[in-house]
Amino acid sequence: MKPQTNTATLVESQLLGEVTSPELSGSVYTVTRDGLPFVPVGCGGIHYNVTVGMPVFGWAADQAQPGVSLENPDPAANVGLSVFACVGNRAVVRSGPAAGAVGVVTGKHEQFDTFQHVLVDFPQPVIELLVPGDKVAIASVGVGLQIPELPSVTFHSLGPQLWERWAVAMVGGRLEVPVVVTLPPQLVGIGSGRVSAATSLALQLPDRQTARDVGADDLRIGDIVAVRDWDGRYATGYRRGSLLVGVIVHGASRLPGHGPSITILASARDGAIVPAHDPAANLARLLMAGTGRAL
Amino acid sequence: MLATNREALVRIGVQGQVSHPTRRGGYSVGYDDAPVMRPGMSGVSVNLRVGSPAFGWACDHGEPGVSAEGVTSQRHLALQVMACIGNRVKVVSGPAAGATGVVTGKHAFVLIDFAESVLRQLAPGDRLLVSAWGQGLELTSAPEIVARNLGPELLEPMALEFTRDARLHVPVRFVLPPEVMGAGIGMSSEWANCDVMLHQPEVVRDLGLEDLRLGDLVAMTAQDHRFGRSFRPGWTSIGVVVHALGPTPGHGVGVVTILTGPERCLDLEVGEAPNLTKLLGLPL
Repeated sequence: MKPQTNTATLVESQLLGEVTSPELSGSVYTVTRDGLPFVPVGCGGIHYNVTVGMPVFGWAADQAQPGVSLENPDPAANVGLSVFACVGNRAVVRSGPAAGAVGVVTGKHEQFDTFQHVLVDFPQPVIELLVPGDKVAIASVGVGLQIPELPSVTFHSLGPQLWERWAVAMVGGRLEVPVVVTLPPQLVGIGSGRVSAATSLALQLPDRQTARDVGADDLRIGDIVAVRDWDGRYATGYRRGSLLVGVIVHGASRLPGHGPSITILASARDGAIVPAHDPAANLARLLMAGTGRAL
Repeated sequence: MLATNREALVRIGVQGQVSHPTRRGGYSVGYDDAPVMRPGMSGVSVNLRVGSPAFGWACDHGEPGVSAEGVTSQRHLALQVMACIGNRVKVVSGPAAGATGVVTGKHAFVLIDFAESVLRQLAPGDRLLVSAWGQGLELTSAPEIVARNLGPELLEPMALEFTRDARLHVPVRFVLPPEVMGAGIGMSSEWANCDVMLHQPEVVRDLGLEDLRLGDLVAMTAQDHRFGRSFRPGWTSIGVVVHALGPTPGHGVGVVTILTGPERCLDLEVGEAPNLTKLLGLPL
């Protein structure tokens, strides 16, 4: 049975982001973990052919973001956008030819010292109409979510819209959460020591063999996964005995210490969260009524 | 006998200055969920030095000795990248002008040790000249192993030798498994360091790290630190412990990488490895 939450007490507030455009540093090339120069394609802007539900591996891109990435041009407001937007929240286009179109928040992607994006997906006809600079309002709700009878579970970035459709259940006094896979702690890369509500936490899968060894070979954008021995009550860090649950927000990476990242949804230190294997625990099914962009 | 391209390395004077502690406002949240506001980063520390224990200080990322910075962000980056452990440093302004020190590590700042009498004379803003020497170092007789942040002044007293089966024999004090490697993963190997998440007493105990000290040589398993720091089965990195435990999650004890290579090319001897104090003759 699904536990009662404090959803009725959560405050809903409007945030504003703008559709980004890709940015590069002057040197253009970046360097893979093997020491090979490459041009990083995949972050910022509008991604016409990458969407939630697609594989994380196999793109000729780095950290390929699905759909549209947003930021607020004011740095402090962008922190607000990055903390308060929650996965599942409703997004509405406010300007340009797509004004009025409705989308959904699918995650957050922080690149250390470079950018902090909120990722939103829209139906394909809307994606085709959007341009960088278009304003998108997000009806943010979810920060502060709690289960009163299970106070040791911390939630971040988990919108009530996702909570309602995700088949979590109270089993024997603990929260059983459907996840595609449970991963070991040594995979966690960049994102360590950052604010849990805003950051993304990279999962280092440097080669297909490593991915196979941990059961992440078929990982998809939008998959909900668990990580053992990681905590995210306030900031992200290794903590033996904790469990972290998050959603994969972008594709794989050739950069050292990077990989497909998760936006954190929940964590517990005391075993109050139990992962339950469910290969269908993906946002495409939970939030987008099927695969692709059919919202 | 380990051969290097030492003669090809360019030695460059890079200017820095003694940094001043700064604050950005609010509290951090500690590993125990308590708000934290502690000294440790930047400035001059007289009682926390290379050779001190890594645990037990009421500090945040406690940096030993002097924390030096570049005067602009670009110059700071150059100082950070070019300074190598073991490099010589000269004080060029203030009452300690003329005194010499040694680079012992990198964090947000370049960490330099001086004689205690010099540390007591130094103040924020005093200018320093780092004789940067070591980036570009190649182990020509062990080409699969790459050097980073390793001054010839440190490599030479390490007196590394090859085993009969041509592996490089490296004595280290302790071994760190990949799951404790935290903030610093995914960043350039030449910039700052990687924090090791050693907050839980049971983890420290199980890894046998209770006596970890600043200046200890450690091996990091399943870590490839050639072109940035990364988890990678089959690779091993060697580093130096450079700062004391920081209390925030995801952070911890800092380790600067000096060598990284395929596991099969390295022969680790874990236990009695000399500390930086012995290798570099510290304190001065």
